[in-house]
Amino acid sequence: MSKTVFRYFFDFLDGQEKWLNSMAERGYKLKNCGKVTYTFDACRPGEYEYAVEFVGDRAYSKAKDYCGYLEEMGFRTWTKNINFNFSYGKARWRPYAKGMGQIATSPGGFNKELLIVEKKKDGAPFELHTDARDRLDAYKAVRRAYFWAVLMMFGLVAMTFIPDVSSLPAAIAWVFRAVIAAAGILFLAPAVKYALLVNRLNSACKTFE
Amino acid sequence: MVCIRDNIKGGALTETTLLVLLAVHKPNHGYGIMQFIEKETGGRVVLGAGTLYGAINALVKKKWITPSGSEADGKKKQYVITDAGKQKVGEELKRMGEVLKLASAIVKGERGANE
Repeated sequence: MSKTVFRYFFDFLDGQEKWLNSMAERGYKLKNCGKVTYTFDACRPGEYEYAVEFVGDRAYSKAKDYCGYLEEMGFRTWTKNINFNFSYGKARWRPYAKGMGQIATSPGGFNKELLIVEKKKDGAPFELHTDARDRLDAYKAVRRAYFWAVLMMFGLVAMTFIPDVSSLPAAIAWVFRAVIAAAGILFLAPAVKYALLVNRLNSACKTFE
Repeated sequence: MVCIRDNIKGGALTETTLLVLLAVHKPNHGYGIMQFIEKETGGRVVLGAGTLYGAINALVKKKWITPSGSEADGKKKQYVITDAGKQKVGEELKRMGEVLKLASAIVKGERGANE
């Protein structure tokens, strides 16, 4: 029997991964996912495990190639969004990405910033990145995405203070600022968390591989 | 992406790089490389799929390994070491030999660190 759950994760990486694994522990394996929905099928508790990987900094072709590689390795994958935005026929600038990854299109790489990877549990830990340097690079990309999100939110709030920029009544403008600032604060918590993790990995890299 | 620090002063390869190069002395695919490394290191090194992907791409870019055979027949993508890759492995073995000799001599007390 299928079960649909609504969720959005401000900590899109570890937070989402932890939750998917807790669902699998309770006997639910992922069937498919939408923007804010996850549909699960029943399975044996603990039969599957999940990892979430950030691929939003890569060009769409490279992210697709990586996805194909993981499938070839025997994993099941789903793409997942980090935005709420429903868009079609649009191109977006991703300031946190590298090279061609900076342009995300819909249809294309937009709203496919994450890969959810499923593996049948075999006793071995499920880690996609094991090398210290590689883990550092992976988390640096996540940190960069969060810092841009925080910057955008506070930039947006700052813009509302430009004289005559909006025709909103003052009270509504303050509500708007409060909502955007709250989102900025929600993004700030994971931004700090991943920044601390990057610092830890940076120092580990000096001694270990 | 895995950074391969091959041309920095000492020229040491990372363990991941060296093990991948060893695993493709005969044509091997991603999963085969992973299994080879786990088996040959007695489970000490278990490469994550993402780390391996980065290592393979970096090595292909450096032309130390190359895709082997065609994907058209539906088989998994395989890789094999090139002459340039073999040369790097040779250099690395020489470097490791020197480090091993030095470390053994100091640990056994045959010589001091300041000599």
